[in-house]
Amino acid sequence: MWYQIFKFELQYRKARPATYIYFAILFLLSFLAISTDAVQIGGGAGLVKENAPVTIATMMAIMSAFFMMITSAVMGVAVLRDFEHNTDSMMFVNPITKFDYLFGRFAGSFVVLLFVFTGMLFGFVLGEFMPWRDADKLLAFNFWHYWQPFMVFVLPNLFFTGVIFFMLGAVSRKMVVVYSSWIFLFILYQIGIMISQELDNRDIAALLDPFSLITINTATQYWTVTEQNGQVVGMDGVIFQNRVIWMVIGIILGVVGYFSFSFNVVRSAWFKRKTVKADNSTDLSVAVPQVSTSYGFANNLKQIVNQSFFYFGQVFKAVPFQAMVLCGILILIINSFFMGRVFGINTYPTTYLMVQNISGFNLFFLIILVSYTGELVWKERDVKINLIYDAMPVPDVVNLISKFLGLVLVYIVLLFSLIVTGVLIQTFNGYFIYDLPVYFSSLYTDTLFFLVLFTFLGFFVQVLVNHKFIGYALMVTFFLLTAVLRNWGVEHRMFQFGSADLGTYSEMNGYGHFIPGFSWFNLYWLGFAVLLFALSVMFAVRGSEAVMKIRFKVGKLRLTRPLLIMVISALTVFVFSGFYIYYNTNIINSYQNSDDRNADLAEYEKTLKGFEFLPQPKIIDVNMKVDIYPSDRDYQAEGYYVLENQEDHPIQEIHIQLNPDPQFSYDYVRFDRESLVKENYEKFDYVIYELKEPLQPGDHLKFEFKTIFETRGFVEGGSNTGVVFNGTFFNSFDFPTLGYNENAELAEDDDRKDNDLEPKQRLMERDDPKGLSMGMLGDDSRGINFEIVISTEADQIAIAPGYLQKEWKEEGRKFYHYKMDVPMENFYSIVSARYEVLKDKMTIEVDSIRKDIDLEIYYHKGHDYNLESMMKAMKQSFEYFSKNFSPYQYRQMRILEFPRYATFAQSFANTVPFSEGIGFVLEIEKDKDVDIAYYVTSHELAHQWWAHQVMAANVQGSTMIIESLSQYSALMVMKREYPQEHMKEFLKEEVNRYLSGRTNETKRENPLSKVENQQYIRYGKGAVNLYALQDYIGEDSVNAALRRYINDWDSFDKNGKYSTTEDLLGYFRAVTPDSLQHLIGDLFEKIVLFENKAEEATFEKLTDDKFMVELEVSSKKLEADSLGLTVEMPLIDWIDIGIYGENAEGDEKLLYLQKHKIDEGTKTFSIEVSQKPIKAGIDPINKLIDRNPDDNVKAVSEKAAI
Amino acid sequence: MNLEINNLSKTYSNGVQALRDINLSIGTGMFGLLGPNGAGKSSLMRTIATLQEPDTGSIKLGDIDVLVQKDEVRKILGYLPQEFGVYPKVSAEVLLNHLAVLKGISNNKERRELVGALLHKTNLHASRKKNLGGYSGGMKQRFGIAQALLANPKLIIVDEPTAGLDPAERNRFLNLLSELGENTVVILSTHIVDDVKELCTNMAIINQGEVVLQGNPQEQIDTIQGKVWKKSIEKDELQVYKNKYRVISERLLAGKPEIHVLADSNPDSSFEGVEADLEDVYFSHIIGDDIVVGSPELENA
Repeated sequence: MWYQIFKFELQYRKARPATYIYFAILFLLSFLAISTDAVQIGGGAGLVKENAPVTIATMMAIMSAFFMMITSAVMGVAVLRDFEHNTDSMMFVNPITKFDYLFGRFAGSFVVLLFVFTGMLFGFVLGEFMPWRDADKLLAFNFWHYWQPFMVFVLPNLFFTGVIFFMLGAVSRKMVVVYSSWIFLFILYQIGIMISQELDNRDIAALLDPFSLITINTATQYWTVTEQNGQVVGMDGVIFQNRVIWMVIGIILGVVGYFSFSFNVVRSAWFKRKTVKADNSTDLSVAVPQVSTSYGFANNLKQIVNQSFFYFGQVFKAVPFQAMVLCGILILIINSFFMGRVFGINTYPTTYLMVQNISGFNLFFLIILVSYTGELVWKERDVKINLIYDAMPVPDVVNLISKFLGLVLVYIVLLFSLIVTGVLIQTFNGYFIYDLPVYFSSLYTDTLFFLVLFTFLGFFVQVLVNHKFIGYALMVTFFLLTAVLRNWGVEHRMFQFGSADLGTYSEMNGYGHFIPGFSWFNLYWLGFAVLLFALSVMFAVRGSEAVMKIRFKVGKLRLTRPLLIMVISALTVFVFSGFYIYYNTNIINSYQNSDDRNADLAEYEKTLKGFEFLPQPKIIDVNMKVDIYPSDRDYQAEGYYVLENQEDHPIQEIHIQLNPDPQFSYDYVRFDRESLVKENYEKFDYVIYELKEPLQPGDHLKFEFKTIFETRGFVEGGSNTGVVFNGTFFNSFDFPTLGYNENAELAEDDDRKDNDLEPKQRLMERDDPKGLSMGMLGDDSRGINFEIVISTEADQIAIAPGYLQKEWKEEGRKFYHYKMDVPMENFYSIVSARYEVLKDKMTIEVDSIRKDIDLEIYYHKGHDYNLESMMKAMKQSFEYFSKNFSPYQYRQMRILEFPRYATFAQSFANTVPFSEGIGFVLEIEKDKDVDIAYYVTSHELAHQWWAHQVMAANVQGSTMIIESLSQYSALMVMKREYPQEHMKEFLKEEVNRYLSGRTNETKRENPLSKVENQQYIRYGKGAVNLYALQDYIGEDSVNAALRRYINDWDSFDKNGKYSTTEDLLGYFRAVTPDSLQHLIGDLFEKIVLFENKAEEATFEKLTDDKFMVELEVSSKKLEADSLGLTVEMPLIDWIDIGIYGENAEGDEKLLYLQKHKIDEGTKTFSIEVSQKPIKAGIDPINKLIDRNPDDNVKAVSEKAAI
Repeated sequence: MNLEINNLSKTYSNGVQALRDINLSIGTGMFGLLGPNGAGKSSLMRTIATLQEPDTGSIKLGDIDVLVQKDEVRKILGYLPQEFGVYPKVSAEVLLNHLAVLKGISNNKERRELVGALLHKTNLHASRKKNLGGYSGGMKQRFGIAQALLANPKLIIVDEPTAGLDPAERNRFLNLLSELGENTVVILSTHIVDDVKELCTNMAIINQGEVVLQGNPQEQIDTIQGKVWKKSIEKDELQVYKNKYRVISERLLAGKPEIHVLADSNPDSSFEGVEADLEDVYFSHIIGDDIVVGSPELENA
C-alpha cells in the first residue's frame, strides 16, 4: 500500500512547477559557481585547483546547507499540505496504515528531493566542461570527485534534515515550525563557527556542525596544496563521527516523530488553552447606531498608525519570530565570549566591539526581513480575509505602508533590545563605559537604514512576483546577483543596492569622515526604494484577481495624486542625490573599478618596468616642512632631498615618481640646477628629468618639491584613512620617490594573467647583486639625515622620527621641530592626534657604559589599560636587546596610538605607531593570557635592531632577518617575564598560523631562509623554529651569533652590500655543535614536518615516590616540497620526551622533560619519576612542527599487575 | 440610488467565461441573485464590490462609476464574501474594531458603540472576547455579517450569507437585512430559493454567466401559475418522462421520485396540478432547455 502512496506522491510532485524551479535554481547556481567567477561559493585559494576534491566537497556542503530552504519546502509540506488544503479528512478515512501513509509520503518526497539536488551534481559536472574554463586551474575530470562528496556530505545532509522537516511538518502541522527548525540547525552551525575560533574547540565544533562544513574544514585544515588537489575528503575521523551522529539524530527524530504523529484530524492540544468564558450579554434588540465616517488624510494617518501596530503585534507575537530573536540574542551572548580575540585574549567589551558583535545578528535580521515581508504581504490572503480587507475604503497605499511601518517598528524594538543585550554583556564583563551614542548612532543609522531599504525591496519583490516562495528565492538570488554584478566590474555603490557604508568606528576618530558619503548614499537608495515601493502600491493585488494584465490595468487607476507626488519626490531625491554623489565620487574625486585600476597598474608595469634597476642617486638628506589640517583632512609638505651619486659613473637622468593618487598635486618639483623634462608619463605621474650637467660620482644634488594633499567631498569607497580628524598617520611613501616603484605592480597572478603579464616574481634570488645592493625598504637610499617641522591644529600633537628641538605656537597652530642626530632609514611616519602622554625614563648599563632612554606613550584618552604592560615591555626589551645584541642607537622611544583603520604596529626610528585595535584595549588577564600588548611592543622594539640596525637585502629570506628575528627577540624577552604555559600557548597559535597559512599558498612554499614575504612563514614558522633553535643550542649561543652578526652587518658600507639569510645562517652554524648541525638545514633551509605520536603509555608503581613509566612513541620526519608533497627523511633527531603529573592545585606539571635521540620509527622508553604520572609523550610542548600536535601525549594507565 | 449594470462580460485567464453580457438594473431594497454553483454569481458580486475587473461593460451606482471610482464605492459598501477566514488569534471585538477603523469610523466612542451593537445584533456579544480561531462555522459567518454592516453601508453585497447558519440564525439574519433602510441597495446571492422568496422585491437568475431572468419574484411565479404539474413515478421511468415532457425538477418523496413538469395544460390525468412557487420558476429557467435533449449530468443525478 505504501507503494501506491509513494507513486501518488511522485506523480503529484511531477506536476508541480516548484519541483523544477528548485532543480533549476540548484543547477544554475552550481553551474555558475563552478564555471564562472560571477558566483563564488567557497572555492579554493591559490594553487588549489578549481575542481580539487576538497573544493568540490566544500561547495557541495555549503550548497546543501544554504538550500536547506528547499529541503524544508519539499519535505516539510509532504504531510502538511493535507492539513493546509483540508484534505486531511479525506486522506485519513481511507483504509491505510499510519506507516503506509508516512513512509509512502516520505519516500516519495525524498526521491523528489534527491532529484532536485542532483541539479547540483549536474551543474557542477557540466560546469567543468565549459570552454571558458582555464585549463591551468583544473584537474583532469574525475567523476568520483563529484560523486564521493555528494554521497558523503550531501546525501546524509538531505536525509537527516529531510527526516526532521518531514516529521516536524507532520507532527506540528505548521510550516513555521519547519522553518524554525532549520534556523535552529543554522544556529548550531553558527555556534560551531564561533567556538572553532579557539584551536582547542575545533574537534567539538566539527561534530556540532550539522552540515559538516566545519568538519571538512577541521579535517583538511592543514592539508597542503598537493593533498587538497589529490585527495577526497574521506569518510573517517571527525567526518565519520559527524556523519554518523547526524544520521542517528535523524533516525531517532524520525522514530519519535512517527510515534507522535496522530492519525486523527482533530487532535488534542499539547497545552490546555485558557478558555474565555462567554457571558450572556447579548442583546439582540439593540439598534445599530448611525456613525459618522471620515476619509481624509488625518483619518488615513490614523488608519496607518492603527494598522502598523496591528502588524507589529502580529509579527512580534509570532512564535517563530520570538524563537528567532531568542536564538539570535543567544548567539550574541556566546559570541561575546570570543569578541575581538587576539591570540586567545579578550578585548575590552568596548561599545564599538559590541556594535560589531551585534552585527552578528544581521543574519537574523535578514531572515526576519525576507520572511516577514513575504508573510505580511500574504497576511490577509493566507487567512483568506483578503476580500473583506480589500473592499474597505482605504487608499491602496495605506495597507502596504502599514505593513512596512509595522516591520520597521519591529526592527526598532529589536535593535533596542539588542542594545540592552549589549549593555548587559558589558555590565557582566565588568565594563561600565557604555557609549550609548555609539550604540544608537550605529544601529539606528547603519543597520536600520539597511533594513529599511531591503524591506522596501522585499515588499516590491513579494508584490510583483506574487508568490511567497518564489519571492523568498528571488530575494536570496538578489543578494547573490549583487555579488555577481560586482564581479563583472559593476562595483560603484551607485549600482549596489543599499550599499552605503558607515565605515569603521574608532574611539579616536569616531565615524569621522565616513558620515557624509554614508548619508548621501542612503538618501540615494532611499529614493530608489521608495520608488519601488510606489510601484508595489500600484501593482499590489487587491481583490480576487492576480493576473498581471489586470494588475497593470488597475495599477494605472491607482496612480492618484498623492501617489504621483510620492513617485515624483522619490524620483527627484534619487536623481538629484545621484548627481550629487556622482559629482563627489567621479568628478571632484576619481573612481575606477578594480578591472580598470588593475589595467592601469599593468600598463604602468609594461611601460616603465625597464627603468626598475636604472642607477639613480641616493637620498642622503631629507628636510621637510609639513602642515597638517586635520579638520579639512588636508596637508601640505614642502622640502628637499639631497641626492648623492653613489655610483661609479655620472648620472644624467633623474626619474621622479610622484604620488599618482589624484588627491595629490604639486606646486613645484625642481632641482637646484638646470634640468629639463625629458619625458613625462603623466598617466603615472612619472617624470624623467635630464640634468644639463651630469651628476658626477660623489656629487650632490638638491631635489625640492611642494606637494599638496587635498580632500574634496567624499569618495565612492576606500577613502583615505591616513589623514583624518583625529589620528592622522601617514608615512614617507606619500612623498616623491626615485625611479620605478616595484611595489605598485599588480600582485595577484590571476589579475596579471587577465592583463597579459607573467606571474610575479615575489623576490629576487638570494645572490642577485641588484637585490644585494638595496635594502628591503627600497633602493632610494642607504640612510638619511632627517629633519622636519610639522604643524597641526592647536589641540593635537604632531610627531615624526627624531628628537624634539623646539615646540611653539603660531597663529593658533602648534609647530614641532624634530631632528635625528644619526643617519636613519629613509622611512618616516607623520602622526597627529589629540593625545594623552605617559612619560618614563630608563638607564641601561652595558660594559659600564650608561645610556639614558626616554620612554613615551602617546595614547587616546581612556585607553590606559595596558600602558603599564607596554612600558614594562619597553624597559625589559631595551635591557635584553642592549645586553644581548648591541647598544640601542637612539635615546628615545615613543609609542603612538593610531585609529583602528589598520591593525598593526610599525617601527620607525625611535617611533612606533601602534594601532588602537591591537593592544590598547585588550583585556589581558594577568595570569591566564599571553600578554599581547607586551609582546607586540617588544616585537616592534626589536625592529630597532632588525631593520634599523641590520637592514636585510631585498632578496629571498629578507623577512626572516627582519620579522623572524624580531619574533625571536620578543619571545626571549617574554620568556623571562611570563610562565612556560604562556609560551606554549603562543607557539601553538604560531604553529597554527604556519600550518593553515601554507594550505592557502598561492605560488610555492619556501623554506624559512628563502621566505618571500609569506606571513605564515616569517611570523609563524619563524617564531616556532627560532624558538626551537635556542631550545637545542641554547639561548646564549643564538644571542652570541646575533651579536656578531649585528657587529658585521650594521651598515651597508661595511660589506658594500646588505645581508642575506645566507650570512645569518653562517653565524648560527658557527655556534651550533657538530651533532646538531643538521638542525640549521632542517629548521631554515628545508621544509620539515614531524609526525610524532605517543603510542602506548603505562606505569608501574614501585614505591610511593617511585613510578616507572613505560612509553612507546613513534616518530616520522618528513620533508615537503614547495607544493606540500612529502618524502620521509632519516631520523637522527633529539626530541623531548616528557611526563606530566599534577601539582598541588591539580594543574598539570612536567615531572620529566629530556631530549632523547630518536633514530627509529618507534621507540620505547622506561623512565622513573617521583610522582604519579598522568600523561606522557613525545615533544609534549610542541616545539617541532607537527600536523597532529594533540596525539603527542597520551594518558598514562597503570599496568595491570602480572 | 440605482445600480446599473450594462453589458458586463468577463472571461478568466483560464478560459472560463464567467459573465456574459450582463445587464441589470437594481434599485434600493433587497435584490436576490439566484443561480446554481458556478453560475457567475460570485464573479458578478466581486465585480460590483470593486474586487475584480470585467473585460467589458460598465457598472454605475448612482453617479459613481464603480469600475473607476473604487474608493467611492468602498466608502458605502458592505461586503460579505462567500468564503473568508479570520485571524485565529485575534478576538472578534478587536478585529471588528480594527475593521471599523479601516471603514473610516474615526470617532472612538462611535466606533465602540457600533461594534458593540453589531456584536449584539449578530448574537456574538457573549463571545466577543474569544479568539476567532475558536469560533464555529456559524459564528464565523455571523462575524462576517457584522463586519459587512459596519458604517451604515448604502450598498450591501452578501454572497451566500445564510450558508452554514442554523434555521434560527438564518431567520435572525434575514430579519436584520430586511430592517436595513429603504435607501439601501442590498444584493443577496444564494442558491436557496426560499431566501429570495421571503425577502426580495426583485431578483435575477443567473446561469452560465448569463442573466436568464429578472423581475419581481411574485410576478415570476404568476407567469407559470397553473402550468406546473407533479407526478410520482418509478425510478426507471424517469428517462421516459424526461424525453417526453419538460421536467423541471425531480425530488424523492418517501423514496420515490416526484417530478414537476412545466406544461400549459395537464399532460395527462396521472399528473396533478401544483401551486407554483419560486423554485419552479428557478428550475424552469436553469434547466428548462437542456432537459429536452437530456443532459447526461441529470441522468446520473
